[in-house]
Amino acid sequence: MIEALGARAIQDVVQAGHFGRFAWRSLLTSLRSCASRRTYPLVWTQMHIIGVRSVPVIMITGAFVGMTLAVQAYDQLAGMGLEEHLGQLINLSVVKELGPVLAAVMLAGRVGGALTAELGTMNVTEQIDAVRSMGTDPIRFLVAPRFLACILLTPVLIIYADLMGVIGGALVSFLQFGINSRAYWDLSAYGVDFWDVGVGVVKGFFFGAAIAVISCYKGFTCREGAQGVGQACTDAFVASFISILALDFALAVVSKNVYAIFWPLKSLVG
Amino acid sequence: MDEHTDGLADARAESIIEVEHLTKRFGAKLVLDDVSLVIEKGKTTVVIGPSGCGKTVLIKHFIVLQRPSEGQVRFEGRRIDDLSERELARVRTRFGYLFQEGALFDSMTVAENIMFPIRQHYRVKSSRELEDVVKAKLAMVGLDGFQNYYPARLSGGQRKRVALARAIALNPEVILYDEPTTGLDPIRSDIISELILKLERELGITTVVVTHDMKSAYKVADRIIMLHNGKVIADGNADYIRNHPHPVVQQFINGQVSEDDLAVLRMSGSAGTAQFLPRDFEE
Repeated sequence: MIEALGARAIQDVVQAGHFGRFAWRSLLTSLRSCASRRTYPLVWTQMHIIGVRSVPVIMITGAFVGMTLAVQAYDQLAGMGLEEHLGQLINLSVVKELGPVLAAVMLAGRVGGALTAELGTMNVTEQIDAVRSMGTDPIRFLVAPRFLACILLTPVLIIYADLMGVIGGALVSFLQFGINSRAYWDLSAYGVDFWDVGVGVVKGFFFGAAIAVISCYKGFTCREGAQGVGQACTDAFVASFISILALDFALAVVSKNVYAIFWPLKSLVG
Repeated sequence: MDEHTDGLADARAESIIEVEHLTKRFGAKLVLDDVSLVIEKGKTTVVIGPSGCGKTVLIKHFIVLQRPSEGQVRFEGRRIDDLSERELARVRTRFGYLFQEGALFDSMTVAENIMFPIRQHYRVKSSRELEDVVKAKLAMVGLDGFQNYYPARLSGGQRKRVALARAIALNPEVILYDEPTTGLDPIRSDIISELILKLERELGITTVVVTHDMKSAYKVADRIIMLHNGKVIADGNADYIRNHPHPVVQQFINGQVSEDDLAVLRMSGSAGTAQFLPRDFEE
């Protein structure tokens, strides 16, 4: 029992080491690839697959987040006579937290699953070995374009999700609850800083990097057979989801401390 | 000279690949057990052996797609198994590797598959020039005109021939064939064997073929190496292998099941039938 536990612990540490090395190599190779013109068409293709095709689902996700927040929060605020503050609550929640996290989770499912399935299939059919056998680094050819596309486009997709969340929340507030639009927008503008929007968008770089590295790693290391590829996709989504939540927490702590350094008295005003 | 070998001392003088005391383990499983051999330049060496005996793992070590657990791999006298992936890239461009299932990129057309290694290693200024190279490579394997097909639309034999065209795209000095005739009908198998001979004759390429197709092995081989349980048990020309006294070699080349295997089958057969017979069907 203890022996099995120890063996499992050693295996987990070894796997963590492999993942760390893969992530480090992916980061370095991606940075190096930025200087190579040959990478641009590959990145462009991945940007289309990862970014452009994700826009509709991301916009739908954002819109529903905003609309649901309006419905959920209205009763509590109206009970205190603060219904005109609904915009402030919805927009702050959307741009700072829910928009980035739910957009990233949606991307982990749509893009991460596709990346793992594609690279996993390439792995089990020896296409990744074929890339290596022809003297090409598969990290440069396969991982770097996907990594760069994810990093560049996740923040952009978060902006789309934010925008649709704001619009969805506003439409429900105006049309269903009849809130005064002037007061709604004025209080929103007062309560939501550029900093809040920026924090949400910056999270996108980290979420994009996590989704790309985890999904590519799971694809590169997936076991043979249809079951192996399926299991890798599931593992990739679960690992990406947990990473997004963990990164969200870490970035919330960091952003709060950075904010306190630059604007130490701001909390006294609000 | 090794007791299982014939002519190895001559080979050492003109070797291109040398494997010394190569051992490979996957976890607790020992796949290659202290294998030492030399591949002669300009010749065709065929590695035979039953499925799972380590043939593919052995040739993957030749271009370091697998790293040894112990031992060394040398190419033209230089140790390559300890090189970084970046350093290996240059070495690998001197090899062509035909994978068992072809390993064509299914998102690319036939032409794009063949262009891939060229684009990776040359600055291509004229796409017309590149198309001419693709045409010439496809003509060598008898598939000119298939440039715009996707791999999914090709038959198994055609896929292997396209993969061969891709493997020779960079004019390699060594070609490694992993089970080139597996899964093909006898006629298409023979076409692949003829292609291997043609490439060796026309391009003077060093060839290593992994196969368990003895007809193809006898046709193309200058030398045959037999692996069994991760060890080299026979090494020599076709006649030497045909007359080799080792019972495992004779069983393999004649396609005979051993008495021990038959006994196991008979026992498991009767036990299995009794075990899995549904109750309703019992008398």
